[in-house]
This record gives sequence, C-alpha cells and structure tokens, in this order.
Amino acid sequence: MPLPVLDVKNLVLWYRTRKGPVHAVDDISFALEAGQTIALVGESGSGKTSTANSILRLLPKNVLRYEGKVVFDGQDVMEFDDEEFRKVVRWRGISMVFQGAMNALNPTTRVGSQVAEPLIVHYDIDRREAADQAIEALGKVGLSGDIARRYPHELSGGMKQRVVIAMSLILKPKVVILDEPTSALDVMTQTNIINLLKDLKNAEHLSYIFITHDLGLASELADLVGIVYAGELVEVGPAEGVFVRPKHPYTGKLLASVPRLRSEAAPDFIPGVPPDLTDPPPGCRFHLRCPVSFEKCGWSAPEFIEQVKLLQSSVETKDKVPAIEAMKAKDTQTLLIKPVANGTVAEFAQRLTSFIAQDQETYRFLKSVESVQPKAKVVEVKLHEAMPPPLIGGDWRASCWLLEAGGS
Amino acid sequence: MTASVVDQQLPTEARPPSPNVIELDALKKWFDIGRGLFRGSIPLKAVDGVTLAIARGETLAVVGESGSGKTTLGRTVIRLLEPTDGRLLYDGQDITHQSEKELMWLRRKAQMIPQDPYSSVNPAFPVYRILEEPLVIHKEGDRAQRGEAVMKALQSVKLNPPEFFANKYPHMLSGGQRQRVAIARALMLNPAFILADEPVSMLDASVRISILRLLRQIQHTFGISFLYITHDLATAKHFSDRIGIMYAGRLVEEGPVGGVLGEPLHPYTKALMNAIPDPDPANRLTVRQGLPGEPPSLISPPTGCHFHPRCPIAQAGLCDVKDPEMRELRPNHRVACHLAS
Repeated sequence: MPLPVLDVKNLVLWYRTRKGPVHAVDDISFALEAGQTIALVGESGSGKTSTANSILRLLPKNVLRYEGKVVFDGQDVMEFDDEEFRKVVRWRGISMVFQGAMNALNPTTRVGSQVAEPLIVHYDIDRREAADQAIEALGKVGLSGDIARRYPHELSGGMKQRVVIAMSLILKPKVVILDEPTSALDVMTQTNIINLLKDLKNAEHLSYIFITHDLGLASELADLVGIVYAGELVEVGPAEGVFVRPKHPYTGKLLASVPRLRSEAAPDFIPGVPPDLTDPPPGCRFHLRCPVSFEKCGWSAPEFIEQVKLLQSSVETKDKVPAIEAMKAKDTQTLLIKPVANGTVAEFAQRLTSFIAQDQETYRFLKSVESVQPKAKVVEVKLHEAMPPPLIGGDWRASCWLLEAGGS
Repeated sequence: MTASVVDQQLPTEARPPSPNVIELDALKKWFDIGRGLFRGSIPLKAVDGVTLAIARGETLAVVGESGSGKTTLGRTVIRLLEPTDGRLLYDGQDITHQSEKELMWLRRKAQMIPQDPYSSVNPAFPVYRILEEPLVIHKEGDRAQRGEAVMKALQSVKLNPPEFFANKYPHMLSGGQRQRVAIARALMLNPAFILADEPVSMLDASVRISILRLLRQIQHTFGISFLYITHDLATAKHFSDRIGIMYAGRLVEEGPVGGVLGEPLHPYTKALMNAIPDPDPANRLTVRQGLPGEPPSLISPPTGCHFHPRCPIAQAGLCDVKDPEMRELRPNHRVACHLAS
C-alpha cells in the first residue's frame, strides 16, 4: 500500500463554552492516498467543518483540547510550530475552499489580484509573474484570462466559485479541503462545478476532503466515505461498500432518508435530533435514535426515564406502561420506580417485567434493563453498563456493537 | 390598479363549484424596476404568462432554480401580490384584482408556510400565542374555544404533549419543531389551500423528510390543497401529485409526477433531472451532462423560447423566434417546447 499523503490519527478538538466543553471532534482517524478523495458526510453540527479546521489548524480562541496526529507527506505536522505550519502546510500543502467563500471575495479588489495573493504572501515573487500564474490558475478552472481584471460583483455565482477554487489551487497543494463547495449554487451550476472538480482531481492528481451533508453529491467525488455523527467518525470505508451495504445503522438510516430521483422507495426519516455535543450521550452516541439498539448500546437512567415519560405522554402508548407514581435516577445505570398504590410492589415488578419483555422490540430502550428488583416501596431497575463501541474492521470500519456480534 | 369591469360582471353565486381550488390563466406578475426620474419603466417579468390549476386536495410542486419566478408565482397565487395581467381564480371566483378588504376571506382560506422557521414566528410570543393570534385577528371563538383549537393544532403537527410545547418560546425549539409550529399556525383557520415555499430547505436532511411527511398527512386528513415551491426535484417527486417546471418566469412542463419524471418532455426538465445525483458510488467514474451558460435575465429574456440559448436541441429560425405554446402531449401532461412530441 502506498504511503498516504494525509494520515489523520485520533484527532481531538474540544471547544470551551459556558455550557461546558463541546466535543466537536472526538477521536477521528482516517488516511488518504494521493489522488484519493474522502467525503465526510454528516448532519449540521456533527463536526465535519471542525475536523477540517483542525487539520488546517484554523482554531478559534476557545480551544480546550487539540490533540492527535496529522501526518502530511510523512511528517507529523502537529509537531510544527505555528510559523512553520503556516509556511509549509497551510495552502502550500493543504488548502481549503471554505463554505460560502465565494461571498467573501473582496468586493474592491480585482479577482486576479485575489487569486495571486497567496503567491505573493508565500513566495518572494515578481508581480508580473504572479499575475501570469493567476491567469493560468483561472484557466485551469475554466475561466478566461480577462476575468482576472473583473471585480467579484461582475461575476455569477458559478464563476465566483471557480475563482475560489482557483485560489485554493494556486500554490499547487496536494490536498484540498472542499467545505460544501456547491451548497449555495443552483443545481445546474452545481453540476458544472462538480464536473470541474472531477477534471482537476484527475489532471492535478489532487486529494480532496469533501465535506457535505448530501450523500448524492458525496458519491460524485468520493473514493472513501466517512460518516460523522456527534463528533465521531462512526463509519469509514470505500464508497462501493459504504453506499451499498452500510455497516453502521446510522449510515443506513442516512441513506434511507435521501429522497431519490431514480427510485420509488419512499424516503424515511431518522427520529429524534442529533445530540448536544456539550453532553454527548454515554455509550454509542447514536443509541437514542437507533432502530436496532440493544443491551450494550448505552442507555442511562435519565434517558430511560425520559423515554418512559414519552410513552406515557402519547395517546397511543400510555396504556401500555404500568401505572407509575414517580421515577428517579439513583445513579447513571440505576433507577427507582414508585408504583401507584394498587397491589404490592412485587406485583408491579411483575407487570413491569412483562411490559419490558413484550415491548422491547418496539421500544428499544427497554432492552437496556438488566434486572428488576422489588424493594420495600419501590422497584429498582438496573441497566446494562454503557460502553462506547470501538471501531471494528480494517479499511472499512464502523463503531457499532452489532458488528462485534457478527451482524451488520 | 383597479378591478376590471369583467371581474365584477362574473356571476359568482350562479356557478357550480369548481373542481379546482386555484386556477391561473396566463397569469403575469411584472415588477417595474425603472429607477430615477428619466429612466421610464423597465419591467422585470418574474411570472410571464403561467396557466395552471390546482385541484382540491392535491399537491402541485413548482420546481425551478433561483430566479425562475417560482416564489413570485406563489406569492401572487395567494394575492400577496397583485397580478399584472391574466386571471387568478379561487374556487372559481375571480380574485385577480380584488382589493385587500374584499380579500379578508381569502386570508382565512389560503395560508402559507414560510421557508425560514427562525424568522417567521414572533420570538417574543410563546407558541400558544403564536397559534392563537390568527383566531384573534379573525375574531374566532372565545378564549376557551381558542385554547382548545391551539391544543388540537399542536397535536395534529405531532408536538406532544401539547401543553408542554404551548408554553415554549421559539428559541427553545429546534428548527424542525419551529417549522411544526409554523405548520400548526397555518392550520388554525381551517384553510383549503396552503402555499409552502421551500418549507424544508433550512432544515437538516434527516428532519426534512419528517416535515414533508407531516405535510402529506395533513393534506390527506384535512383535504387541503398544497402549492409546494422548491428547487429540489427529488422531494417534489416523493411528496407531490403533480409537478410544474419553471424556467425564466414561464412554466415549461407540467403534469403528474410519474409522467413528468418518468417521461420528461422538455429538454430543461431532462437537464434538471440529469443534474441531480442519487447516492451511487458509480457516479464518480462518469461526468454528468451539464448545461452551458446561466439562466437568463428576467429583464431582457431571450426571444422565442426562453431556454433556447442553452438548449441542446434548439432549432434556429424556430426556437429563437416563436414562443412555444403549452401543448398537452400526454394525458394531463403539458409541455411548452416546439420540438417535443
């Protein structure tokens, strides 16, 4: 196997906020060969852009933890000091097309000067020479040389996006990070930009990190797909695998949620919302929304109580739940349930046990119950221990406890 | 503009009920963008002669790129804008030039779900008041009845338990929940027609489907007609009955979903479909067929067919000269292209 051009290992980026640490990037690893593209796909707030920013060391002031290895071209560039990083890695080695960058072009400066700017900053280069190279870069992205003399407001959205791509290529980097490069564009323009990116990838032997929330778009460029959920890479592998037979239930749900133009299959939604990254759920971070979660996946007592309350509040399900007076979490994996006063506690425990046995396939959180113990006035429910699932597999791996059991 | 004489002569009561909630006949909405004392008037033809009908209880999706005039079309249909020309009928009644005062009933019957759930609800109002307000404005019921209606609406948009959500403020809700509030508000006055202008484009992909499904459910439960305005052909396919494709202010193709997407007749529809990738690892190995150029300016659109400068099959002397007429080439499936057959 050829040496990867970029090898990201156990990358961590946490932000400090008033609400507590935000686990924006939590132990993300992937490797990229020269000429290869990885698409990082996830919902908004899942940590895709933070991953990109931490690779390029574009950090805000409130960083709490920033660690891991970023091996670029055989060197761990995390070891570089800021000046060395700026000189050698940022833009010269790894450049980026920022989300919405086309709207951040300087309105008072001709486009050509803006494209040439990195050259002037990084190299002691003659202005004429810089201008020639800028025109050459504009040519590569399909724009004629006279565009260099125009101002951003004279260009269409698609043309501005091409200019931004030209800027990212001007120092001939090996890796280009594309953060939602087409999300502000119309579909027809999007097609043209994606086609351009395909051409450039082949002509310049570029590696892309393609950040998008759109799985269809991801498949336009991705050799590898990484699925990001709540700050973690829950699945990463070859496009032929991940798109066709996803290993992680989240990937499966995400693929099933895409409305497809060429299939009659009705798109399905993922229940619930992504978790709060200041307080990620214990165990597998997806377990609250997972259609196949089971014992190990990490339900905690407060979550359990929340789910029971949800069942109680819905007209369709409230009669299924045995009548409860009060619930309280004793610790993270134990809760106490006080039955309403009819019959003994033991009888209530019986009813609870049969409810759990009957409905656990429908309401997966019930699977997390390890034991139901009647006490003097309350029933003590113990839950299985919460353990985050490890990444299982080699080049195609996913973090799901089901894979350990041999399922998929 | 004053109401034309024709409208006033229409015997509205005598007509049998129309099967269509909304009918547009060569509807035009032009904006005058002439500025300054001496520039005269320069029309921007945002909607330039659109004819279509929305039947009771169906969803019509109008799909187009930005600047195609789809939002203006929607706003004109519910008479937030007054048409420049053509006719607009609601339930068979001509409302093209009715005054705002005469339209109070329409403000009940036709509702709107806006694009941005973050800015469309009053942040200082709790959900309860957001939902009660339409009833107060239209002087519906007493306090208790209004309260009951609010709870019912919250339940029909699956914000359970309703008492819990009624007291929340918008900032306490997620984007999806806010959009549900906006939908509940649209339902408060028992409308017959709802304009949904990009109702999910600001939401996360995984939430979109749940909102679109909810809209579909509401439509079936209450028999409401929807005009779903979107740039997303794929959601239009799965969540509407019929599709209209707009390009540069004109409707270029319109028909049942299966017809338009199963057998697209207009070259622009074909190009649009071709531009949308479904997740498929084979996509990266091929280059997608694009279109040259950009959508035209609505101030000086091309002569003849507006699409001809970008059209792969345009014929000189025909497409660049003559406006194509809408022709019904398949049952209920119309296309405005000289060359389609």
